[in-house]
Amino acid sequence: MTTYNSKTFQGLILQLQDYWSRQGCVIVQPLDLEVGAGTFHPMTFLRSIGPEPISSAYVQPCRRPTDGRYGENPNRLQHYYQFQVMLKPSPKNIQELYLNSLKELGIDPLVHDIRFVEDNWESPTLGAWGLGWEIWLNGMEITQFTYFQQVGGLECTPVTGEITYGLERLAMYIQNVDSIYDLVWTDGPLGTVYYRDIFHQNEVEQSTYNFEHADVDALFKQFDQCEIDSQKLIEANLPLPAYEQVMKASHAFNLLDARHAISVTERQRYILRVRTLSKAVAEAYYAKREELGFPMCNNNTSSTNTETKGDK
Amino acid sequence: MTTETLLIELGTEELPPKSLKTLATAFFDNIKTQLDSNDLTYSDIKWFATPRRLAVQVIDLVGKQQDKTVEKRGPAVNVAFDAEGNASKAAQGWARSNGITVEQAERLTTDKGEWLLHRATVTGKAIAELIPDMVTTALSKLPIAKPMRWGAERTQFIRPVHTLTMMFGSEVIAGEALGVTSANQLQGHRFHHEGLVTLNHANEYQAELLKAYVEVDFAERQKKIVAQIEQVAKDINAVALIDEDLLDEVTALVEWPVTLVGTFDEDFLNVPAEPLIYSMKDHQKYFPVNDKNGQLLNKFIFVSNIESKDPSAVIFGNEKVIRPRLADAEFFFKTDKKQSLESRLTSLESVLFQKQLGTLKAKSERIAELSQFIAEQLNENADDAYRAGLLSKTDLMSEMVLEFPQVQGTMGKYYALHDGENVNIAQALEDQYRPRFAGDSLPEANIGCAVAISDKIDTLVGIFGINQAPKGDKDPFALRRAAIGSIRIIIEKQLDLDLSELINKSIELFGDKLVNENTANDVLDFIMGRFRAFYQEQGISVDVIQAVLAKKPSAPLDFEKRIKAVTFFGELPEAATLAAANKRVGNILAKFDGQLTAFNSDLATEQAEKDLANVYQAIKLEVAPLMAVKDYQAALSELAQLKAPIDTFFDNVMVMSDDEAIKINRLTLLNEIRNSFFAIADISVLQ
Repeated sequence: MTTYNSKTFQGLILQLQDYWSRQGCVIVQPLDLEVGAGTFHPMTFLRSIGPEPISSAYVQPCRRPTDGRYGENPNRLQHYYQFQVMLKPSPKNIQELYLNSLKELGIDPLVHDIRFVEDNWESPTLGAWGLGWEIWLNGMEITQFTYFQQVGGLECTPVTGEITYGLERLAMYIQNVDSIYDLVWTDGPLGTVYYRDIFHQNEVEQSTYNFEHADVDALFKQFDQCEIDSQKLIEANLPLPAYEQVMKASHAFNLLDARHAISVTERQRYILRVRTLSKAVAEAYYAKREELGFPMCNNNTSSTNTETKGDK
Repeated sequence: MTTETLLIELGTEELPPKSLKTLATAFFDNIKTQLDSNDLTYSDIKWFATPRRLAVQVIDLVGKQQDKTVEKRGPAVNVAFDAEGNASKAAQGWARSNGITVEQAERLTTDKGEWLLHRATVTGKAIAELIPDMVTTALSKLPIAKPMRWGAERTQFIRPVHTLTMMFGSEVIAGEALGVTSANQLQGHRFHHEGLVTLNHANEYQAELLKAYVEVDFAERQKKIVAQIEQVAKDINAVALIDEDLLDEVTALVEWPVTLVGTFDEDFLNVPAEPLIYSMKDHQKYFPVNDKNGQLLNKFIFVSNIESKDPSAVIFGNEKVIRPRLADAEFFFKTDKKQSLESRLTSLESVLFQKQLGTLKAKSERIAELSQFIAEQLNENADDAYRAGLLSKTDLMSEMVLEFPQVQGTMGKYYALHDGENVNIAQALEDQYRPRFAGDSLPEANIGCAVAISDKIDTLVGIFGINQAPKGDKDPFALRRAAIGSIRIIIEKQLDLDLSELINKSIELFGDKLVNENTANDVLDFIMGRFRAFYQEQGISVDVIQAVLAKKPSAPLDFEKRIKAVTFFGELPEAATLAAANKRVGNILAKFDGQLTAFNSDLATEQAEKDLANVYQAIKLEVAPLMAVKDYQAALSELAQLKAPIDTFFDNVMVMSDDEAIKINRLTLLNEIRNSFFAIADISVLQ
């Protein structure tokens, strides 16, 4: 194994990627669409449906327009990163695997107080819920840990274990800084680059767009169009493109929310519309995989054993 | 018989802390019930629980059930054999099913006849044979709100299960539960102990786990935590605020408690204590501390789960977490103060109280009117009451309350004082939500009572008015709490108010919004139902409450007086007879469908009848002025004197005389007497 400098933001990502790669995960790249969480990535949302085993890890940029603070709040961003791990079926030693990842980041569990504190997860738009914990590191939540029970309205069998690291939070802890913008992104031969240098202007401009310029009428139309397209694609038995339309609709909804364009009562209705689409996609995806004979069920189980503690 | 210690432990991933105690005691109860119903005796039985285990230990448990003799009765002898003495088919079948021949059967003779009998010996089962099923049953009956699955298994439980240990003395009991096989291997502390703990004897459970950094006894662990907190508080010359629920939760979050203290910037103390305390307790599970004068200090106590190699790192981390939260509170407080509560009334227009009932602004206006109405009846400053009612919901629009809903009302008080509202109004804003739970304190002043009652009555009337009365467990608007809160305030604060009047006024304030024509009755009946719970909790017997409820007294103080009077009456030696007599009269009158007139003494023929009438006339004169001042107890004392004449009357007089006029006259007398009692309560239901 290579040791990366997890005291930089990019070193932290590389270290996690390396670790989970060694555990047998498929390392994929971020989804190229705007999503609110790593769970939306098809590698998690769709792959947790049906019987096929798969494990994967990836970084996912997340957009939450309402969380924008024009770059003025040291703890909040409208665009941030999650490191997402999904293991299906969830291995018996999944907690240990997670704790070992922290050790590799230099977090000694005999120095720091690490706790699994009950926190159950529910995504109304994805028709999904699960049970698990938030992980506390000396009282700070650094990870969400969930055993999926239902996704897209379908029971999960087997169960996917999802581990979501909040990268900025974790980095702030490791680097001991009080502002996201003070995080060291990299510290190499070409000098030190900070999170501020990469993303501050983006936070200011995108917040301005989200709250002030996003075109409400166009977004409403876009939402409706995505809904229509998604339904048509389901009819055409194309669940993957149909799912992309769901994500686009979901993002349009988030932007409308940031523009305060949706009243409290209407809000519930929009969430339901997205959920209806998600469920249709989930069912279509399942049917399609079934039609294909659930190909990944036939793959040889790997020679590397996820039950081992890594290869140090 | 030899006895041994039994241990049953289930090792899991971290269980939900708020339900840990419930789960552990339910598991314990389920095991105990089965041991008892299987006639397995023991000297003691205990439960244990940590975040990662549920366990039961049974001391001096017998190794097997006693053998038992069971008597099985067969067919009667006179049908078991024919005339020749040959056994019938039925008799043979019965014998075969018991594994004997008819000849081997004994006889059971009673005064009713003679039967075939088989005395069977049932061999008692050994513990090892019984326990696995008991464990499976006990686990399946746990109150699990949301069961989960994990991996590729179909098993369901609260959280994934890793170990199962069933041991009797030093023997492992073979078996499995929830997909795990029983072994003498236990999880130790997640970080302080490598690998599993091997247990050699069920007796050593606590001691071995202690060595592995697990204090497995919940109560013991809690005691340690309290002692540590108190010690730490003493060291910093402070008093820790230990909330029972939080203490239970914290106890359920650690296996090896190590208590530490953190500090935050003193400047945060410029923010009112409540939101700071809430930030510390609710999310972070910290214990806030006061100085000796009850002022919040810039310190917090927290319980970690490790003996850290570097406690300062743990403290540093926790201080870092709380800082932005307190900074949020400070920011909200500063921002909120820039806007007066009054100016927030407009924004209440955009918040719905309930779709059919309109906005919070409309609710505030109704609360204001109703508070004024109540204040006038209580001779309080009606303008203050109106103003407090009008502002009552404005703090819901503040940033602070949006972020920390638990400090609603309290922040209203601070912001009102900041706006220059008078102290009575400010205090009423805080008091409007009281009592928030059973046993909570009541509003201090009457203005606060007025707003608190108005808010509750408005919700009750509104929700009943649109036909959304609570059903079963579903009470989304917390109407039960609202009703019992109103009762408590009126009775304990001795307020001279009539619920019917308040309800009618409230209905009037809703204008045309209500669709239920029976709103007034429905709300009153609902509150009457709460009176039952309210008095039962105080130990008043059900029949006394029933007797008063029959009258539906809508003024709570009047209700209270009647309860006291009937309780007093119930203890008089005359009570039983008079209750029976009232019941008897009630039954007679129920069957009578004619017309009663006025009592005519000339028609009284029997002596006992005349005596009763005379005594009653005299008592009636005494009772009238007592009833006028609602001295029900004295009135019942007077009426109690009727016992002797009524007894004599029933012993000597035939009520249903053949002479119609005489009969009606007697019924009239009895009816009048009954009405005198019934003016206070239906004492016929007393037992």
